[in-house]
Formats: sequence, structure tokens, C-alpha cells
Amino acid sequence: MAEYELDCLGEACPVPLVKTENKLKELEVGDTLIVIIDHSCALKNVPEWARKNNHEVEVEEIGDGEYEIFIDKTA
Amino acid sequence: MKLSSLSSNKHFQAWFKSPWTYVTGAILLSIFQIATIGSTGSSWGVTGPFATWGAWVYQAFGGSVDHWYFFSTEGGQASLERSFFTDPASVRNLGVIVGALLATLLASQFKFKKIKNLRQVGAAVIGGLLMGYGARVAFGCNIGALYSGISNLSVSGWVFALFMFAGAFVGSKLLVRYFMA
Repeated sequence: MAEYELDCLGEACPVPLVKTENKLKELEVGDTLIVIIDHSCALKNVPEWARKNNHEVEVEEIGDGEYEIFIDKTA
Repeated sequence: MKLSSLSSNKHFQAWFKSPWTYVTGAILLSIFQIATIGSTGSSWGVTGPFATWGAWVYQAFGGSVDHWYFFSTEGGQASLERSFFTDPASVRNLGVIVGALLATLLASQFKFKKIKNLRQVGAAVIGGLLMGYGARVAFGCNIGALYSGISNLSVSGWVFALFMFAGAFVGSKLLVRYFMA
């Protein structure tokens, strides 16, 4: 049930998505990954990819154009 | 209306905040392409005007592009004789930037992004030069040559698409290799 953070501020597509995919591989089932982004495309493709892979996803806006994507690894 | 209630309003969310679907985007792009051809007589292009702007600047400093092959066509010559505000493609490019700014402000997502490292700057400069040069020798970018090519039922658009995918494949391999560390 550990929590990890992935700082993707200032990174454009497809870097946040590829980094998320790689990082999530290292996590155990039940762990949470928080991806911090400020790129609007990543706001679409990161949650989309995670949901397609049956992970629990929640998005929170933490500032103007800044988001935290919470991904609970379920599989 | 309080700001907090505006940001949770479902119409505000749907119109300004959430990204529109690819299908909505595709339909709008098609409608605007038709409007563009109808009103200006030529298809949508983005990078063509960059060369024209360069030529205008060069001419302003006393240079001459009269004998450049690139501007030897009728269209090329005509573009040199226009000014920024009489050139539909130039004004449209300005519109793209102003529109994007407006959209990001309406969604309150405007932000000056931090530059992560020098490598990012180097990649942006090299990438920009390669894309600009490539778009000119290919007589168009992914808009003028690909999107407008295909929507005008030209085979060249499909050929462009094929090689663009090959380029994107190689590019994404390089990106993963040099930017994922």
C-alpha cells in the first residue's frame, strides 16, 4: 500500500505516459502512483491508458493547469 | 455566481474545461477546412507562411528572393506581394495562437512551464529546425501536405502519411532512448 510520486511537470507528450507505464511496472498491486503533470494531452492520455488497463484512476486539479493523477495499481 | 460553483458547473466543464473528443475535433476540422477553401480559395496550411515571413524580413533588410526556386511559382510570387494582414494564411496562424490562448484562459489552465533541463532546449531547437526544413522541402507540413492533401483526394497526402509514420516511429524510439532516463 505504498505511495509513489512521479514528477512530470514541464514534460510534453508522450513522456508523461511512457514514464507512467514504466513506473507502474515497478509497483506492487495495491500501491498508488501519483503522476503530477502540467500538459493537457497527458491529462487525457494518462488516465485513458490507466483505465484501459483496469487501474483505479482519480484526477485532481492542484493549480492552474496543474494536475495530480492518482492511479491505484489493481492488476 | 461564485467561482467554485462555476468550475463545478457541468456546462462549463463540458465546453471549456474538459478536452473535446477526437470525433468532435475531426468534425470541426472538416467544417473549418471547407470554410477555409470556400473563403480563401486554398486549403489550410500552417508552415508555408513561415517561409513567406522569412522572405519579408529578408526583403526588409534589402535582400532579394526573386531568383529563389521556392518562390518561383505563381503562388509563391503572389504571397510575396501580400502583407501580413492581407495574407489569409498569416492571419489564420495568428488566429490559431490567439484561439489557443483564449481556450487555455477560459479553462484557467494557463501556465508558464518550467524548462526541465538543457537537453530539452537542445531537442526543441534541433527538432524545430528539422521540422521547418522538412516541411519546406516536402512542400507542406502535417497540415498542408497531409491533412489538406488527403482532404483534396491527392495521393501525395497518403504518401506523406506513410513517411510521417515512419519518421514518428524512429522519433519516438529516439525519445524513449534519450528522454526517459
